[in-house]
Formats: sequence, structure tokens, C-alpha cells
Amino acid sequence: MAKVDTRPDHHRLLLETIVQPASLTGYDNRQWELLLRLARRAQLSGYLAAKLEKDGLLDSIPARASNLLRSSLIQARKQQQSVSWELNRVMWALDGQEIPVIVLKGMAYLLQDLPNAPGRMFADLDLLVSKENLGQIESSLLKKGWQHHALTDYDERYYREWSHEIPALVHPERSVEVDVHHTLSSPLGKLKIDPLPFREAAVKVKDAGIYVLSPEDMVLHCAVNLFQNNELADDLRHLLDFHEMMLFFSSQQPFFQQKLIERANQLGLGNPLFYSLYFSRLLLRSAIPDDLEKQLDRQPGWLARRVMHHCVPLALLPQHPDHPSRMAGYARMWLYWRSHWLRMPLYRLVPHLAYKFYLSVFPARAETSK
Amino acid sequence: MKVEQLSLDIFHTLITGSGLRVKAGPFNLSIQTCLPSLIDQLYRMYSHYSLVDETEIAEFHVRIIPKHSIRRPLAQFIQFQIDGRSPFPPVPAKQALATLEWGINLAIAMRINHLLLFHSAAVERNGHVLLLPAWPGSGKTTLCTALIHRGYRLFSDEFGLMDPQSGEFFPLPRLMPLKNQSIGVIRDYLPEAVLGPEIPGTLKGTVAHVRPPQESIERADETAKPRWIVFPKWSAGAALRLESLPQSEAFLLLATNAFNYEVLGETAFDAVTSLVRNCECRKLVYSDFDSALAALDELTDG
Repeated sequence: MAKVDTRPDHHRLLLETIVQPASLTGYDNRQWELLLRLARRAQLSGYLAAKLEKDGLLDSIPARASNLLRSSLIQARKQQQSVSWELNRVMWALDGQEIPVIVLKGMAYLLQDLPNAPGRMFADLDLLVSKENLGQIESSLLKKGWQHHALTDYDERYYREWSHEIPALVHPERSVEVDVHHTLSSPLGKLKIDPLPFREAAVKVKDAGIYVLSPEDMVLHCAVNLFQNNELADDLRHLLDFHEMMLFFSSQQPFFQQKLIERANQLGLGNPLFYSLYFSRLLLRSAIPDDLEKQLDRQPGWLARRVMHHCVPLALLPQHPDHPSRMAGYARMWLYWRSHWLRMPLYRLVPHLAYKFYLSVFPARAETSK
Repeated sequence: MKVEQLSLDIFHTLITGSGLRVKAGPFNLSIQTCLPSLIDQLYRMYSHYSLVDETEIAEFHVRIIPKHSIRRPLAQFIQFQIDGRSPFPPVPAKQALATLEWGINLAIAMRINHLLLFHSAAVERNGHVLLLPAWPGSGKTTLCTALIHRGYRLFSDEFGLMDPQSGEFFPLPRLMPLKNQSIGVIRDYLPEAVLGPEIPGTLKGTVAHVRPPQESIERADETAKPRWIVFPKWSAGAALRLESLPQSEAFLLLATNAFNYEVLGETAFDAVTSLVRNCECRKLVYSDFDSALAALDELTDG
């Protein structure tokens, strides 16, 4: 017997559109209005616009919808151009220093023309370098005009001691944040990730010393971000990155999925990959064999799976803009705690969240403590 | 059907329920609030707007909600929401109308890129648009208010909406916020202007909104091509000057002030180039409305 889809209507509408973009030429205006609001919330309007443009459908939909989607696509293209230029400037600032720089996330997808890149919204440039090169990069960028945002002492310490990146650098003439990472997940976290194998397997894209992660590592990094680093709220777009990359690399390389499993086992990243495969199949109907994740050495236990099965879709998928569900609110709160729990031991976590709560009640205190 | 054809009861039911849907130029708005004072103000200030059918797409969904402050439990605060999200901190409830109008403008400026958005007042006379771009001390809203009560059709006091392909401008008649001294000036000069309540203590001082004339709203679908660009500057006691402005300077002033010039990139460059080439560009210094209006009438007569 076919399973009954018990998802709320607005979730079904958004997912149906992503899986089957051609279906939206049949939507009535009410469905369009809701879809446009949901897509904006999920930061997917640029992505949808790019898909429709590619299929030549942007003129076959209602004019108001087409105008809004075109507007998002124009903005996404501008963002991509800005981040590309920022990368150009960073490479200029590091010229002659022979520091291998690995480009991560959005900019890496763009450099490789992956199918999830067109229309993708992203405002930051994420880079991975070795810990030894971190100081040199930071001082080179500071010398050439980049600046740190003004940070409180607390935030400064949070970044320097507990985080996997240094505080963001921004050039005052431009608004793109440069995030320089030395590893891929919090060093305090329960899941220890050694960045060395990622750096060793990185692939050169252009002559100027720019690298990106290997295909398997790029997919794994996406999974780690989703189920280890992020809080999952409104994060459908990252699951979509995962889904699109799985599809693309699987079609490019005959044994890609097998290599991915082996790599995850080698690096101890079974858990995040398990969840990514599971939810990508559940929500986006990814064509992934049912038993693929059974080959992972590490898998979440049955209780964790049950809880995640119910909570993750409520967090990943956007809330209805007019009728937020309380259930989804709880699910998101729980996943927020989970992500912090994974990133920090309890003796750090409790004071950290207490401090964040204090700031939410007295925002002015953050400024006075500078 | 227009807002003024609704009884206050039905208006109340709509705006407190799923939202009041009205047409503002090329966009449809859905506005929802339960704040009684704001409902009364909107009933009067939005009276000429057309209602939008449930079956049409609305681009912007905004709300003004009451908000409690933990630190000041007795004061009344409100917050602006768009699509259920709050981009600004709460403000005193008295500022609800100004916050709503400002929030809608910001949403348009942030989200719309299929049109080039100049930061400029725009009015129409003899079938062509006169642009009055913002520059420091321009008082564009004040001058624009005077013009639309003297035979010019209001496009907008804030946005010059240009289709970069066709060069057509779109009307977007919305409430026009007069600030500080301008409020008294307009009350004296144009006793017939319909003004909203004076709202003290906003980021820009005291604000009072002018209701757009009925005709401007009814003809909001009639686009037009621009023919004149006048950079106004009010200067106390100054003699009237209407001088021509080099196209290069007009280009720079327009481009650097547009909301989305950089986002549109090359498209915007081409659009602004053809705009300044096809328009008469002037600089206007004035101290009184009569002479400024006479000069602008003469410019737009031909």
C-alpha cells in the first residue's frame, strides 16, 4: 500500500516544485503566492528562477511571479559576481606566497559549474587553509585592507579558541565576508575531523593556486555542515546541494557512490552522511539505492533515527509564513540544542547559551563590553 | 472596488483577518494588523486604493503586531513583519503608520530588481515624466507634494521605477512622508492636502503623511516615458535658478543614488545612459513654491 503523505500542504507544494519544476506551470495564483513566499524563506527563489529559465518556462508563468523570480535571479547573479571578485582579490593579496587555498561551499560549486550553482544565493567566501598558514593569510589580508568586524571580547575568544574559523574578514570597499577555516568542524566537537586528508585530496581548478575539495569530500563536507555544524532551520537549500551533487557526480563517475561510502568510513563521517542520504531520499526523492547507507561503519541508533525522522523535515522545510506550527518550533529548538551539543562539551555549552540568552534580553550590553 | 466603498466594519474584518489586499502601482500588498489606531488611520489614508482579488498574486505580505518589551512592560510597542519575519526592532506604537510605510518601501527596494529603482520623486505632466532625484537637502517629497496639488500626476515621491528594456516609468503612488518643518509649510501652502496624524520621535523626526490624490491612484496603470530630470535644492532666501546640468553629472548623481544600480550592473549602465541622453537635465535652486512651480510649468509646457 502506498504511504499517505501527511506533510502539511505548504511543504508538499515546495517539495513538488523542486522535484518537478515543470509542474508549476499548472499552479493557480494562490499556489504561486504561497510558493513565492516559501521559496524566498528557503532562499531558493534564485535557484527556482534559474531552473525555469533553463527550461524556457519563465515566460509561461504569471507575470508577477516571473518578475519576482527574475528579481531574485538578478540578485543571485550579482552576489556570485561579488564573491568571485572577492576571491580574485584574495588571490591578489596572497600573490607569490605559495599558500594553497581551498575554496569551499557556494564559490566552489560555482567554480566547477555544478548544477546547484545557477541562481544559488550566497554572500560569503569560505576558504580552507592549513593551521600553519592561518596567521600568514590573516596578516596578509589585514595588510591589504581587509578588516575584522568589531567583536566583543567574548566573541573574539569564541572564534580563536573554540571555533573552526577565524573571525570574518571584510574589505571596507566591498561587503563580502571572507571566512578562513583551518578545519571543517568545531575543534571542541564530539566528532573530530582531521582536515589533512581533505587538503591532500583537494583538486586544482585554476593555475593561480586555487583548489576545491575532491567530489567525495565536497559531498561529505556538505553533509557535515548539515548534520554536524548547522542548526538545520530553513536549511533545505543545503540538502538540495547534497542531492544535486549526488546526482551529478554519480552520473559523471560510475563508482562514485561506492567511493563516497569508503571515504566516509575512512574519515569516520558515517553519521552525517547517513542522515544526508536518508533525508535527501525522503524529501527530494533522490535516486539513491535504498541500502547504500547500510554500508556505513557508523550509523545513528534507532532512537536517534526515529526522533530525527520526525524533527528534521519540520526544521529543514520553511514554516508557513502566516501560520507557524508550534510543533515545528519545538523541533527546531531541539535541533538547535543538538547542534550545540555536538559542537561543544556541556561545561562550555551551558555558559555559552546563557550568555547568548542574556544578550537577547539586554542587547546593549554587547556593545558596552567592547 | 475601492477601500472607501467598504464599511469600517468590513475593512476591520479584512485587515484583522487574512489581510487587506490593495494595489499599489505595479505591486499588490497584503496588510494585516490588529492595532485599532492604525486601522483607523489606514481606513482614511488608503481610501482611494483599489482592492485586490484573492485570486491575484500579492508580492508583499506585511503586518504590524503589538510587542511587549521585557525591560519596559508598561509601554506600548509594535513591530513590523514581512512574511512573518521582523527585520527591525520594535518601536513605540504611535509610530505604526510611519513604520508600515517605511517597511513596505524597504521591502520594495530590497526585493525588486526586474525594474531599475531610482531614489527619486517622479511626476507626470503633458504625458511625460519629470524626475526629481534625491540629493542632500533636495526636499523632493515637499516639492513633489506641491506639484501634485498643482496639476501634476503623482508617480512616486520615493521611487523612479524604470523598465530598463522599454525605458517606461511605472507609477507607484503611496503615502508621502513630510518631515519636520515641511509639515507646517505644506499645511500653509496647500490647505487642501489631506494629511495623516503627526508622528513625533521617528528616526527622521516628526513625520506626517500626505494622502496621494485620487486621480493619481486611479491612473496608476498608465506608464510614461521621462523627458525632464530636475535636481531640486531648497535654500532659504535664494533667488530662483533653473540651470542646465551636464549629462555626465546627471548620470553620476542618478546612478550613485539608485537602489539597485550595482545589482543590475551593465543593464543599469545602459538604461541610465539612454535616460540622461533622452532627457533635459536641470538643477533647480528655489526658496518659494510659486516661483519654482512657475519655472517647472514653463519647462514642462513644451
